[in-house]
Amino acid sequence: MAYSEKVIDHYNEPRNVGSLDKSDMNVGTGLVGAPECGDVMKLQIQVDPLTKEIVDAKFKTFGCGSAIASSSLATEWVKGKSIDEAMTIQNVEIVEELSLPPVKIHCSVLAEDAIKAAISDYKSRNKD
Amino acid sequence: MALEQSACQKCESVLVSRLFCFSCNALQTFPNEVDFFEVLGFPISFEIKSAELEERYQQLSLELHPDFYGSAPEAEKRLSESATAILNTAFNTLREPTSRADYLLHLLCKKQKLDERSLPDGFLGEMFFLQESLDELLESGNEAELSGMREDLNGRQKNIEADYFPLFKKFEDNPEDPEILQQLQTHLNAERYLRRLLDRIPAID
Repeated sequence: MAYSEKVIDHYNEPRNVGSLDKSDMNVGTGLVGAPECGDVMKLQIQVDPLTKEIVDAKFKTFGCGSAIASSSLATEWVKGKSIDEAMTIQNVEIVEELSLPPVKIHCSVLAEDAIKAAISDYKSRNKD
Repeated sequence: MALEQSACQKCESVLVSRLFCFSCNALQTFPNEVDFFEVLGFPISFEIKSAELEERYQQLSLELHPDFYGSAPEAEKRLSESATAILNTAFNTLREPTSRADYLLHLLCKKQKLDERSLPDGFLGEMFFLQESLDELLESGNEAELSGMREDLNGRQKNIEADYFPLFKKFEDNPEDPEILQQLQTHLNAERYLRRLLDRIPAID
């Protein structure tokens, strides 16, 4: 099955690959996996403690092109959003943006799960 | 688990395979949802002798082969084609332990909802760590360490596979225990992550 142009673009030039300091209190880390295929995805967010805005995001994904593109896009989308706004990102939006075929929908679900896991990790470490 | 015996649609003999009657050589019409154990004529169980499975497959493929139905009525011709297709899928699914375990688990838990993403504690973090280490090894091209990693992963995969048989056996003895099926699901999930890692290690002779 052919990948869409947007998937190929993100695959060839993934945005925001890398890591943030896991021990930093302002960083939230989400680690998720897809047992259907064995893909693993780590997505991290850095949050401004005052405004609660996501100022940086990084990811690293071991998986297919669609999983890499989904997580790359997810980091682009969360940056500049408040954590509450980022919580509302739905996998169907990723499916539409990347024109993912039905067999690759689980990749977008993985990216949505990774965002939510990163935010909930951030929140659990910053309970006031 | 007992095999549900069905009778030949033509001569009413007891069928071995749901697809074909060895007594009167008649093709059988079969429902779409026919299970792969019925197709090959084995009881629904993880325990299958591969030599027996192979032999049954050979027998059936010979009998069902579309070449022998070239001059048969159209309906029979089509039946031989669809029977051959499902025979091949069934054989490929049941011959290999992991896909057999996966298929059998799905058959057994039709009534029960499993957590399909379950993994051992800390497993995902370890897989991520191993993927990163593998990146470094692939970059440095250290063949000794790569084959060490392959051996280690192969060993873990074998250990998982070795558990399928006792777990299914335990379930046959305790069919009311939902924990056993969940454990099997966890094993199958873990094995997929290990395979994903193994797929990335190039073969070295």
